[in-house]
Amino acid sequence: MRRRDLAFLALGIVVALALPRVLYSALALRILLWALFAVSVDLLLGYGGMLSFGHAAFWGGGGYAAALLAKTFELPFPLAALGGIACAMLLAAPIGYLAIRRRGIYLAMVTLAFAQMLFYVANEWRGLTGGENGVQGVPKILPGLSVGRTADFYYAALPLVLVGLFVAYRIVHSPFGHVLVSIRDNEARAQALGYPTQRYKLIAFVLSGGIAGLAGSLYAIGNSFASLDLLHWTTSGSAVLMTVLGGMGTLWGGAVGAAIVLLLEDSLSSVTEAPGVVTGAILIAIVLGFRRGLLPEAGRAIEWVALRRRGG
Amino acid sequence: MSFYGTSVSEAFDEKGRFDMKRVIALAMVAAVMAAACGAAAPSGGGAPATAVKLTSGKLVMGVINDQSGVYADLSGKNAVEAVKMAVEDFKAKYGDNALGGPIEVITADHQNKPDVASSKAQEFYERNNASVIFDVPTSSAALAIAKVAGDQKRLYINITAATTDLTGASCNKYTFHYAYDTYMLAAGTGKWVTENLGKQWYIIYPNYAFGQDMEKSFRSAVTKFGGNVIQSDGSPFPNQTGDFSQLLLKAGQLKPQVLGAMQAGGDLVNVVKQYNEFKLKDQGIKLAIGLLFDTDITAIGQDNMAGVVYTTPWVWSMDDQAKSFADKFLKRTGIRPTFAHAANYSAAWQYMEAIRRAGTDDADAVVKQLEGYKFNDFFIRNGQIRAEDHWVMHDALLAQVKPSSEAKEKFDYSKVLGTIPAETASRPLADANCKK
Repeated sequence: MRRRDLAFLALGIVVALALPRVLYSALALRILLWALFAVSVDLLLGYGGMLSFGHAAFWGGGGYAAALLAKTFELPFPLAALGGIACAMLLAAPIGYLAIRRRGIYLAMVTLAFAQMLFYVANEWRGLTGGENGVQGVPKILPGLSVGRTADFYYAALPLVLVGLFVAYRIVHSPFGHVLVSIRDNEARAQALGYPTQRYKLIAFVLSGGIAGLAGSLYAIGNSFASLDLLHWTTSGSAVLMTVLGGMGTLWGGAVGAAIVLLLEDSLSSVTEAPGVVTGAILIAIVLGFRRGLLPEAGRAIEWVALRRRGG
Repeated sequence: MSFYGTSVSEAFDEKGRFDMKRVIALAMVAAVMAAACGAAAPSGGGAPATAVKLTSGKLVMGVINDQSGVYADLSGKNAVEAVKMAVEDFKAKYGDNALGGPIEVITADHQNKPDVASSKAQEFYERNNASVIFDVPTSSAALAIAKVAGDQKRLYINITAATTDLTGASCNKYTFHYAYDTYMLAAGTGKWVTENLGKQWYIIYPNYAFGQDMEKSFRSAVTKFGGNVIQSDGSPFPNQTGDFSQLLLKAGQLKPQVLGAMQAGGDLVNVVKQYNEFKLKDQGIKLAIGLLFDTDITAIGQDNMAGVVYTTPWVWSMDDQAKSFADKFLKRTGIRPTFAHAANYSAAWQYMEAIRRAGTDDADAVVKQLEGYKFNDFFIRNGQIRAEDHWVMHDALLAQVKPSSEAKEKFDYSKVLGTIPAETASRPLADANCKK
């Protein structure tokens, strides 16, 4: 098990390093950051059993905060991203506090409602956010290095993304993570065992919001702008879709889902008239064909082949 | 380089050293050319057009716009066709090798998402080596691409986005704004309507960036020409119910002389329909419209719009020059061009002309050719590209929708009432606040 994890890790890092060479750098950066975003959603959905349909609030909240910090104070981007994380976690605390009182679809609706509120605040607060036009012209700063080009920024941001992924991995594989899984499976029993389940859920929510905030911060700075799209409900929807597509409760499934969705969106935008329809059809086919998500199904396929070979 | 293709200075290489091989080569070229001139016409070689040297051996032009959403009709795929037409006509005029290499048009659907627009623009510039990008509706997407263009030092010629920020706070050396902006619309319609239809205005606008810009521009134009905006109200955007009755009933009570509607597309369709249902026209309240595309008239119905006065950079039926383009366009796409289609053609054409003049597609050299350039074509009249902020100044038109009984054909929607001179239709430089 351990060896397979290491192999996966090595493969992941190689893919992450090679991505801007294989694709163009802007697309590679988008995939990298959406992957981190989807992982943050999976942390909550796959391990905590909480379907947040408002994660755009943290991705966008972090994005706007980082963009404004980088633009106003000309901060180096890691510092601006720290600000973005803080902002996202500050948003996640009260939203999470209220949302975790409900479960399932109701939790999803509460988070969606808060994200929509934030969307309209950003739209109306034009003096700060630039409204529809967004915060434009955000500089990419890193003392001592030039990261103005997207390809350079990709490699500068990669360590931060890896830290984010590592934090998610550590959370899941810690005692805290195991308690979280037990709450997902049977909250009443976890409570009976003496765990303060609400507190666990809230902490998970805030941590997940923070990781989404990191991804959003880097996304806004990498794009040089933060726009209303960051906060739009379809952004939350895409993140959930990527997670489900790649496989819930696998942590890295979201990354696979992100890559597939973005590659489809990108390649179809130049060839068809209705990229949405074609993407949708392909995604429905994948979800129907691979119920558990791509990553778990792929794992099962590998095991099956290995078994066959051993048997034959 | 001299007109005949050879000169003494070419005997020196890039570093200025005298090069014997070059002298021999030049002497041979000169001899061949002398022979050619004496005999038959030169076969392709030697014409001034071959002086153009493309940096990558071919010219790639990108069109990024909305091909599946709300702006797909007014620009969309047909705008791509317009750019392709420009390339074909350019080759027909100057020869296949007019720019010293093949000319390619590539396109992407940005789905009105600024992040998709930004990454597509980077792909076009970096991967496909595009030297220019055209069109780009949705102001947030346009501003995002302007930033990419500035960073990558490649050209971006905006056409469909209306925001004045492109030539203002967000301007840069490589971004140009063609066709129209909110200032032009207000300067034309605001002035004419205030002077001719009524001085008391009630403005309704969709409550997002475009609508707010329009409200501001119209308010200042109306006031400037002696009118008075009694009140202005925002309508929710997007307006899912399509219900504007609250605002229109209010208009009935306020009894302004003019109702200024800044809504666009589907919202505009509803406003006009309800304006007709409430019979505001019979109460003496005239309708002025901020932005109108021919495709909107198709959707609303010509007779529902009849009598409405609006400002536009171009009408396909305005004169023979415009008509001949519209005929070609109709043959190719099955519809008459909107001004956005025509502007895409014109911008692509002028860009290629600038390459011809510059002798290269190098961005700095082309920018130098474009800045301050004065020109006329079927779309642009009295055009001048303002060097300071890259706004393409040109005459705008005041047009009126005519009833279908006066139309000569299905798409014959409007007649031209008058011309708004370029100076009046352009935002004064002092207000632009552009620091390149």
